[in-house]
Amino acid sequence: MDTICVQQCTAKFNADFSLDAITWNIEPGQCWVILGANGSGKSALGALLAGEGEIQSGSLTGLPGRVSIVSLEAQAKLIQAERDKDDSDITDVVFAGTLVEEMLEESCVDPALLAKLVQRFNLTPLLTRSFRHLSTGETRKLMLVQALASHPELLILDEPFEGLDVRAVEILRECLVEQNRSTALLLILNRFDEIPDFVTHMALLHQGALVQQIAANDPPAVAQLAQLLHLQTSDIRIPEMETDVNVAALAPDQPLVEIRNARIAYGDNLVFEHLNWRIEPGQHWQLSGPNGSGKTCLLNLITGDNPQCYNNDIFVFGYQRGQGESIWDIKQHIGYVSSGLQWDYRVSVSVLNVILSGFYDSIGLYQTASDRQQEIARQWLGLLGMSQRAGASFQQLSFGDQRLLLIARAMVKHPPLLILDEPCLGLDDMNRQLVLALIEKVCAETDTTVVYVNHHATDRIEGIDHYLALDQRS
Amino acid sequence: MANYFNTLSLREQLAQLGKCEFMDPAAFSDGVSVLKGKKLVVIGCGSQGLNQGLNLRDSGLDVSYTLRDSAIKEQRQSWKNATDNGFTVGTYAELIPTADLVLNLTPDKQHTAVVTEVVPLMKKNACLAYSHGFNIVEEGMQIRDDITVIMVAPKCPGTEVREEYKRGFGVPTLIAVHEKNDPQGQGLAIAKAYAAGTGGHKAGVLMSSFIAEVKSDLMGEQTILCGMLQTGSLLCFDKMVAQGIAPGYASKLVQYGWETVTEALKYGGVTNMLDRLSNPAKIKAFDLAAELKDIMRPLYHKHMDDIMSGAFSSGMMQDWANDDVSLLGWRKETGESAFENATNTDEEIKEQEYFDHGILMVAMVKAGVELAYETMTAAGIKAESAYYESLHETPLIANTIARKKLFEMNSTISDTAEYGCYLYNHACLPLLADFMAGMNTDVIGHGLSLQDTGVDNQRLIEVNAALRSHSVEIIGQTLRGYMSAMKKIV
Repeated sequence: MDTICVQQCTAKFNADFSLDAITWNIEPGQCWVILGANGSGKSALGALLAGEGEIQSGSLTGLPGRVSIVSLEAQAKLIQAERDKDDSDITDVVFAGTLVEEMLEESCVDPALLAKLVQRFNLTPLLTRSFRHLSTGETRKLMLVQALASHPELLILDEPFEGLDVRAVEILRECLVEQNRSTALLLILNRFDEIPDFVTHMALLHQGALVQQIAANDPPAVAQLAQLLHLQTSDIRIPEMETDVNVAALAPDQPLVEIRNARIAYGDNLVFEHLNWRIEPGQHWQLSGPNGSGKTCLLNLITGDNPQCYNNDIFVFGYQRGQGESIWDIKQHIGYVSSGLQWDYRVSVSVLNVILSGFYDSIGLYQTASDRQQEIARQWLGLLGMSQRAGASFQQLSFGDQRLLLIARAMVKHPPLLILDEPCLGLDDMNRQLVLALIEKVCAETDTTVVYVNHHATDRIEGIDHYLALDQRS
Repeated sequence: MANYFNTLSLREQLAQLGKCEFMDPAAFSDGVSVLKGKKLVVIGCGSQGLNQGLNLRDSGLDVSYTLRDSAIKEQRQSWKNATDNGFTVGTYAELIPTADLVLNLTPDKQHTAVVTEVVPLMKKNACLAYSHGFNIVEEGMQIRDDITVIMVAPKCPGTEVREEYKRGFGVPTLIAVHEKNDPQGQGLAIAKAYAAGTGGHKAGVLMSSFIAEVKSDLMGEQTILCGMLQTGSLLCFDKMVAQGIAPGYASKLVQYGWETVTEALKYGGVTNMLDRLSNPAKIKAFDLAAELKDIMRPLYHKHMDDIMSGAFSSGMMQDWANDDVSLLGWRKETGESAFENATNTDEEIKEQEYFDHGILMVAMVKAGVELAYETMTAAGIKAESAYYESLHETPLIANTIARKKLFEMNSTISDTAEYGCYLYNHACLPLLADFMAGMNTDVIGHGLSLQDTGVDNQRLIEVNAALRSHSVEIIGQTLRGYMSAMKKIV
């Protein structure tokens, strides 16, 4: 078998689903596991290699002659095919159905191996039974035996452990260990803990795109992948908000933010001028612009972190700035993440307290959090897959984990306005996916209005439909 | 102008010196409301001026800056600081008459000139705030009777005042009311609101008096804080080099050693600093400190006496009037010292090594902290003030030395601190000459090279008990407890 080469391959499976620009190589002897949430396209990817789907761009080369696939879809097809053989409705002759042994012989290339497998999977008692009378699990076993006995060069097993009893799972695992020296093996799994230890590579699909490819012998990457998969596949629910808070409700008919004719300059150095921006509740915005165009300055006019907010015409959360409100009156309505915040977050504090500090808009925790707040903060840790590290020191965490916590800190109080200033900056692909997934959840499921700043066109957020672009300063 | 302290009766002097109490956080429940809608005008836009103003404005107060005409016309740094941050800047004539509260945040040395010029422009019943009482107490500045005079003094550099505020916290702050100038009895309410506006109430506020603040501040800064660390730096460096230790190592050990050992002091007082040593080294440091205290005690007494009598400030003011000839001469001398000009080795010195190889430095810090504290409390200053002005601030100066060595440390501290530091240094160097002759690299540079680190149990128990029962440790534990109870960062 040659290397199977998938190059920028976009393939359509139905009106609603396509695989998007897949680039992937499978070498002979490799064993891949494909992971992803429901609907991410795992089965479609397996089917693509089995010849399904309509390739619209890119290429797929090096597919071997003998490809076997066992999947729920293939099983459904097999059952349908058997049904199609039944002409009893017109012939009025009762169709006995194809016998299991007939079916096995049909596709067999190695009778000796087949006999061995039949014995191993304990199919002997079923040989003389009609295929249509097999249970789901028995059908599964039959298909597995068929596939294994056909000496495939590429074996695709989509959820192979589904519906098998414990003994059968064990046998299958043993068979796969023996197989995989000569065969390229592709396992499609929903559960991380089902991954056999002979797997050499792992890939993660998200919304039809192959977002991660890692080697199984890279433990940190595997751990991250597990965390991300956990986030995507578990029933993600943004933890609830705290009720009984002392924050006054905002008037629904007022804009959250209205900036009129703003100007920021340092001495003779003009950052921007004549800038207008109005953010209505529920309008999600993306802010972009080249380095130095003043994105962060503009956001800091809203948060109050830029001192020049006091000599600009700024209306935020019901306050005309500079009329006696305190900065904490403003910040209570905002969740905020930026690189600047991460640099500033230099205090000695535990992981749990970082999230709790979001209730108080503080860097570090200086108040006693309520039981309810603690409970919510723990739910966030659970969501991030970091429950075990609640007491760990924030400073000891990786950059990416720190960033994740700060994002949770920003979201914990369900702020009316969530400002994410390049939240993915400096994050690896894995953590970026994780953060984007979280933001989409917030956009879709909460009353929070999101302002999102980024450079990367690929970091698109579903739900954002307003755009503001700043120009390079003149 | 006469020294204000010296015009008071002994009874009044003692009452004023003995003022210092930790305020209940509940006393700040009104926040900044007393100053809401009032006009605050800051004089001076250096680090304290700018950063306090930023905090006050972010607390919802109306803040603007007034600078000398020349600073505005020439667009000096202070003007840039204020305008870049979006503040209104105006001349004294433009802004002072509009002010309800004038914040004098200029250096001590300029106070007489500034206050003399500003007070006639102030409206009736307005309030004048200082962050250091030297002008009132030592120079005897008289302020118009209708004006309220208060002090709000954050006990940290301006940048830290701002950083802690932005975090949602604050820095420990001392407030006081000049009782002679409190015509409406509003002084305390205004001082509390001002402290709350800078975030100080979250980290703890000490209610003191102008006199207690000035006398304790002067004593601390010229003895343990700047004087002892400067003298110790020169002596320890020269000793090590004379004993054949590479100057690069000696310089690094001294420059960063103060910061490292006083970090232990900050967390757990003198006890913890000595607990970082091995048992034999701890006993050695304890004995050296006892010896140092006996030698230096008269010097600490002299400094306290000169501060109390006003002799120190009048001597310094003469130098001010004489174009700072003495101060600048001493500063130049510091810049030329061998320690100042040595280049540090690239060799890494581990955190514990600063303790193990710096036993004498630990002993000097212990002796200096305890002497300054004992001398202040014996002079009628309350334990709380004495603690803040000795032990609490030592790590701050040590940090400056770690960053900038001595010349820059002296340039950044206040004029009063620098002048007092040199006085101390010149008296202390000869005083310790004989003692230093007896020192060896086992206490500075190499550390004890013991095969056997055993000690006598009875002696160790005595030393530990003496360390832990010192009054500066007891008050320190209480005050640090308040701080960490407020600063719940785990």
